[in-house]
Amino acid sequence: MTIAAGAASGPLPAGLDLVAERPLLASAVDLRFTLAPGDRLLVDAGTDVSVGTPLAERFRDTVLAEGRLPPGLGSRPGDRWAPPPDTGRRATRNLAEGELLFEWRDAWRIATGEHAEPLDAPIAGIVRRARPGVDIALRATGRVLLGDAALGGPSRGRLELAAGPGGELRPGGLDVGLAGTVLVVGSRVDAETLTRARAMGVRGVVVAGLPSKERRDYIASEARQRAALHRLPPFAVFVLDGALRRPIASPVVRLLEALVGREVAIVNDPPALVFDDADLDLPLPPADLVRVRSGPDAGREGRWIGLVGLRRFGRGVQLEAAEVRFADGPAIVPIGDLERFAGRPGTAQ
Amino acid sequence: MTRDPRAFFALDIGGATVSAALIIRIAGRWRLLGSLALPAAVGPVAVSRHLAERAVHADPGLASAAGIDPSQLDRVPSVTVRSHAPRRMAVVAASQRALGPLAGAAARSGWSVTAGSVEALDPLAMSQLLLDPGVDAILAGAGDPPGADERSPLPELAALVAAVAERRPDLTVILAGAMTDELPRFPDAAGREGEILLGAAAGSGTDARGLDELLTDLALPPDDARRAAAIGVETFAEVVGRRVEYVEIGYDAGMRAIAGPSLGRDERDRRAAFVADAALVPPGADDLILDRVLGWSTLPIDRHRLRDRLRELRSAPWADAGGDGAMVRLAAARAALGRLMDATLELGAGPAPDLLIAAGGAWSVAPGPVIALAVADVVRRAGATQYAFDHARLLGPLGSIADPDERAEVIADLADDMLVPVGSVVTPAGLRAGRSAGRLVVHAGTGVTELDLVPGGLELVDLPPGQTAVAEFRFRDTVRLGTRGRHFAVDVAGGLGGLLVDLRDVPMRLPDRHERRRELLEAWQSSLWTGHEG
Repeated sequence: MTIAAGAASGPLPAGLDLVAERPLLASAVDLRFTLAPGDRLLVDAGTDVSVGTPLAERFRDTVLAEGRLPPGLGSRPGDRWAPPPDTGRRATRNLAEGELLFEWRDAWRIATGEHAEPLDAPIAGIVRRARPGVDIALRATGRVLLGDAALGGPSRGRLELAAGPGGELRPGGLDVGLAGTVLVVGSRVDAETLTRARAMGVRGVVVAGLPSKERRDYIASEARQRAALHRLPPFAVFVLDGALRRPIASPVVRLLEALVGREVAIVNDPPALVFDDADLDLPLPPADLVRVRSGPDAGREGRWIGLVGLRRFGRGVQLEAAEVRFADGPAIVPIGDLERFAGRPGTAQ
Repeated sequence: MTRDPRAFFALDIGGATVSAALIIRIAGRWRLLGSLALPAAVGPVAVSRHLAERAVHADPGLASAAGIDPSQLDRVPSVTVRSHAPRRMAVVAASQRALGPLAGAAARSGWSVTAGSVEALDPLAMSQLLLDPGVDAILAGAGDPPGADERSPLPELAALVAAVAERRPDLTVILAGAMTDELPRFPDAAGREGEILLGAAAGSGTDARGLDELLTDLALPPDDARRAAAIGVETFAEVVGRRVEYVEIGYDAGMRAIAGPSLGRDERDRRAAFVADAALVPPGADDLILDRVLGWSTLPIDRHRLRDRLRELRSAPWADAGGDGAMVRLAAARAALGRLMDATLELGAGPAPDLLIAAGGAWSVAPGPVIALAVADVVRRAGATQYAFDHARLLGPLGSIADPDERAEVIADLADDMLVPVGSVVTPAGLRAGRSAGRLVVHAGTGVTELDLVPGGLELVDLPPGQTAVAEFRFRDTVRLGTRGRHFAVDVAGGLGGLLVDLRDVPMRLPDRHERRRELLEAWQSSLWTGHEG
């Protein structure tokens, strides 16, 4: 992976190099799609894929079968077995298609499945690795906004802003007109809104924070849907920062605003929003912009003033600190609470 | 490192923290001039430069004499160690009975472990476990000789593992115990990227220790901070001539090492365990971990909010370190220390050490006395031990100095600088409940202190760092304090928290009701935490 390096706009002010740098964009990222034994691989390493190219078929109900294969096939573990139509051997003909796991006492254990679900490429790229039963690694040709977590997915849709950076989307704010979109919903979202969004054909949600309870409720809802053998439409939740409520960082907001109306994809491993940015012109964040990463003031942004050394904070804890000018005036903040933004959006390597 | 330079940096680059210590040679010995720890994302260069600038600012003459010039830091040598995120090992066995010792060996050797047995998983699930893309190595083992419950399923398990080894040539495969007899099933090692290695059966014997060492060698790279810290602890124990225990709770893993002076013997007295599950907040922390943290929490917080805070602590370990965040961190540190102790029970079988060193970023937000209390809350054993904190994270980098004589010389010079004495903890066991268990008289240079010993509580005696005293205990009934008896005279050393007489139960029994438990923990902690109410 290549992380866009270097300062944002302007030289780095003194002491700011002690603030953890958050990469805004990355490129040349290998995205991984996990497979299970029995899944059918449809691409090989080195294949160029475009959006929507089938990568694999994942099977929901994989079972173990056992059978003797015709002699002389030279089968190896991981090979795909399909019964040849012209064989006269009933035992072989009755043996279901699947992935060879291992040979034991002259018979093969085979992973075979029903209820295939297609795994289509959510982005264009080159298949770097394709291992049956293990994974597919796809080198994305677009650029990548890395986040904290992604649930569900992969998914793809047209990016739309549904709430401000510090806002929150409620179920009543959704309608079928949003089908096919990836919605930026602000600082937080609840499980009910996510479930409803999925039901209305929304393809994804981008949010700053997703509390653990909402995360568990949503995952449970998705599991119930799967258990009922409903084929789920592609839907993914992309969490930018973590579990606590905070506004989306302003440089990320600028980026998302620039992407409105464009197709983006959400992938899980690594959790990322991927987009093709050939003609995208993005503004640079100021070099001295810092953001409170966590804690009671999470999400506040200000301008760096300078280091102030060790200071005493709540419960008497002494921490290295800096002075930051917020909208309501300067304040002393632990350096560990701060983050700054790296990279020059639009010129990432 | 050579003996020529007048200064060097000791760098510990961890998963969450990069720590730099500046060590200079002055008046013929090495001294710690200063240290600075910041988030790992900052990087060692920036941290070293700021540390050097501060040294120059504080005492330009001394810095100049030591040859420190912030504009030419590349001329200052450094000893550097790094912590690495634990790699994942899939551990498989024929039976659940055989799986336990194998998984235990992997878990205390620095691996993140997923495990399964033929008894519990069908071949499909077992294949899925082994083919998981996150798996870096496979440990397949059996007893030697195999048990009755292993003999029948062993060949099929070997065939399954061999098939996976063929499909994933990048995986390192370790065959242990009687599983080594199945080696002919496996692909030729020459054509593989990963090795196929043979090891002893897991268990408690000397051979089993060989398996632990093999797994540790595979898990930890040569420059690993924890591997080096184990050597540093051994050298430190040799230098100070005392039995030393080291417990570290870090972002990626926890570590426990026990070492004593060799006393002229050839055999080294050092044992160490590296436990990924003892990270401050392991990735994907489950309900068991959450419950344990909740059990140590001194904050009125519900499960959902605590889960959120732990998730944030995992993703941004330096953020929210003050205020309530410090409380969450300490609760997580106690829980992690508990997991470390559980995974390394056999290391704690001996007598209490003379000195216990706490290390790792988990403790960095707490005052010294609170560190002593937090460790004493979890490490429950009868005895008298001095507690210290590796505040500059030096034992790892110094342990990486290759020349044993040079390492011993540097550690001997720095022995007084590298550790913050946080106090002495005396824990008698076997006290009977009642109003008074006896009397304590502390004879210190500044005078005599007398205390009534009330079972179930903590008694604090002010004893500053650098001061020693004799604590004379007179119990009404026989108790255990190293040995069984009623009268004891114990040499104790001072520290930031003085002398802490811990009269609570061994092992600790806390109220089941969460509120009552929290109030009790809060009361103990606040008595040692200056500025706690702030």
